[in-house]
Amino acid sequence: MTSPAISTADLAEFRAEVRRWCRAEVPSDWRRTQAGASDDEFVRFQQEWFQRLRTAGFAVPHWPAEWGGGMPVAQQVVLYQELAAHDAPRLVLGFVSIHHAASTLLAAGTDEQRRRHLPAILDGEIWVQGFSEPEAGSDLASLRTTARREGDGFVVDGQKLWASGAAHADWCLLLARTDPAAPKRRGISYFLMDMRTPGIDVRPVRNAAGESHFCEIFLNGVVIPAENLVGPVDQGWQVAQSTLSAERGMTMLELAERLGNAGFRWLVETCRTPGPGGGRPVDDPRVLDRLAELDTEIAGLRALCRGLVERHEAGTAGPVEASVVKLYYSELLQRTMDFAVEVAGLPAHAELRKPASSGWESGAWVLDFIGSWEWTIPGGTSEIQRTIIGERGLGLPREPVVSS
Amino acid sequence: MNTELSEEAVEYGRTALRAFEAAGGDQIVQDAEREPARRADLVEPVLAELGAWDLDPRGGADELEAVAALCRVAGWWALPYPVAERLARPADGSTDGLVVIAGTGPGGAAGAAGAGDARDAGDAGDAGLVGYGPAAPVAGLGRRWSTVTFDGGRGVATAAPPTTTPRYGAFVTGLVDDPALVPSQASRDGDGLADLALGLVLPCWTLLGMLDRAIDLTRAHVLAREQFGQPLARFQGVQFQLTDAEVERLGVEELAKYALWAVATGRGEAVDDALALRLAILEAADQVFRVAHQLHGAMGFCDETTLSWISRYSQPVRRLPLGLSATRDELTRRIGRAGLAGPFAPRREPNLEVQPL
Repeated sequence: MTSPAISTADLAEFRAEVRRWCRAEVPSDWRRTQAGASDDEFVRFQQEWFQRLRTAGFAVPHWPAEWGGGMPVAQQVVLYQELAAHDAPRLVLGFVSIHHAASTLLAAGTDEQRRRHLPAILDGEIWVQGFSEPEAGSDLASLRTTARREGDGFVVDGQKLWASGAAHADWCLLLARTDPAAPKRRGISYFLMDMRTPGIDVRPVRNAAGESHFCEIFLNGVVIPAENLVGPVDQGWQVAQSTLSAERGMTMLELAERLGNAGFRWLVETCRTPGPGGGRPVDDPRVLDRLAELDTEIAGLRALCRGLVERHEAGTAGPVEASVVKLYYSELLQRTMDFAVEVAGLPAHAELRKPASSGWESGAWVLDFIGSWEWTIPGGTSEIQRTIIGERGLGLPREPVVSS
Repeated sequence: MNTELSEEAVEYGRTALRAFEAAGGDQIVQDAEREPARRADLVEPVLAELGAWDLDPRGGADELEAVAALCRVAGWWALPYPVAERLARPADGSTDGLVVIAGTGPGGAAGAAGAGDARDAGDAGDAGLVGYGPAAPVAGLGRRWSTVTFDGGRGVATAAPPTTTPRYGAFVTGLVDDPALVPSQASRDGDGLADLALGLVLPCWTLLGMLDRAIDLTRAHVLAREQFGQPLARFQGVQFQLTDAEVERLGVEELAKYALWAVATGRGEAVDDALALRLAILEAADQVFRVAHQLHGAMGFCDETTLSWISRYSQPVRRLPLGLSATRDELTRRIGRAGLAGPFAPRREPNLEVQPL
């Protein structure tokens, strides 16, 4: 599927339309009201904002047209640029729903599963990813949570870790082992799990910055009906692999435009702000050099992301492009936030709250810097991405594995 | 030139390490964070038992080396106590400790804020607020602190009450300059510069202890944590990250000994050497903690891991009195085109002459 060509004039008209919409619809005070917002306020705000975007056709532009999307990539780029430039809130709560859950359902779900969940996601159904476990991080395929066939369903026991936003989730994308005897990648199945099922216990994990959006999920005799299996039994690893890389490009397009049009501008603003005694960091040539370097790198990132999405749509994306983009974005984000902390100095350490609903670069730079590790560690660490690029991209030999 | 610590100092460090382990080890900082009022009681009896209060860092190389070894131990356990600052207190005992603050002039009032890299003068209206003036991790301890600025100006400040909990402030609080308490002696004499060098070098030894610990914890983690059927340490990509961090740590360990020797021998360029050490160890700390966090994975950002505590409590010493870029700026302005004297240059006497305009 390739996007229809869009004329420059049409794109300019679309940009004007998005701008008008942003001026009318982006709440001017959301940073203030979302600073220190309670969990309930955050969820309510995110749901309202999602519905506002949905009404305009901006909530899931990357979905197929029949499910409410169908926006050409060139227009998506414009949309994300304008949302970022107008400092619109991000869809934090629905991130897994509109990206990971949707791409899984679209790529591997049954018609019934799609009909049941895609419209529900548009109505606000929230999803969480239940992949990682205490002993299965980078080596995800070694996961130990089991799903035992019983009658018309499966009974699940185990523990999931680092499930972001699990406290608010209605449904969970779950990987569990259905064949303990099979080689580890061949005995995993992919399930849709209703979080209201008895036997599920969600506990928040508090991090060093005092936040607790990561959760542990304890699963004790949780019954999942067989109709909630995605793809064939024991083929869950293959389902997860194919949907994860497909989803990567779409999320990255938005994040790269956000970094370029919101994060970097915030950084420049910080550099322009006089310190306690009147001097401005931006008057220091070293600061200017660093800004120029980062600006150049961000421009490269945006081009990479756009190229990836276009090639993905055309079916010509290479096997490691998603890894290249993830690695580049995450390390660039970390460098940029690190520099922001350096420029902002000690007062940034006293800034203890960032507005809920903001992006990875909120302007509360120390918290943003800590948050940037959520990119170099989860979703395949930088080390895993490098391994993928080396082995599958460059065709280098695999690292020797000690027999276990 | 012999920059190796004496065997006595090394042994003293071993004894101190065991003493704090027996007193609770990693639990000490966790208890102090939960009950800040117990902070002094958790640490001071052990320091007394170690005879730390009898040590005079200005009393010769042997005592200075013992103090440095003790500071390094304080870093290893992330002790919630300004050991370096307390032991550098003036010999006459008139204040509770010595703190280097950013800026120039007595009390730092006429120069930079003690605000990491924000180098400009603090607004009087914000005095005492962290980020807007001199600050140090001395909350809830003694009230009176000797201060020294980067041009050797000496003063006395009082510690403001902390404005946040130690979990977020790591015991840092603002220092309010008290002009009525400025020592009577001239503020830019040689002793001021000696205080500056001492006050810069000792906290670097504390940070060195934190880097020792971060490497040790990460080494243990990658040996124990198994993924893909083998310890993470078997992956060369993991090994190389850790070895690069270790090379950084080893480099600054040598520099720390050198700068300590420069202080002990009263060399005129001791302040330059102290600043060079501070710059190098801040750069090393960035790399060591980056690697330690990346290799620990997400758990390294949770307080269930010791790394999280060491990393959080490394922040005050890395940001105060000057952060990385402001330290670099201070060093380059000070050494100008002359560069560092280095270990093989002829001895330069402290220049106490007032230069005519």
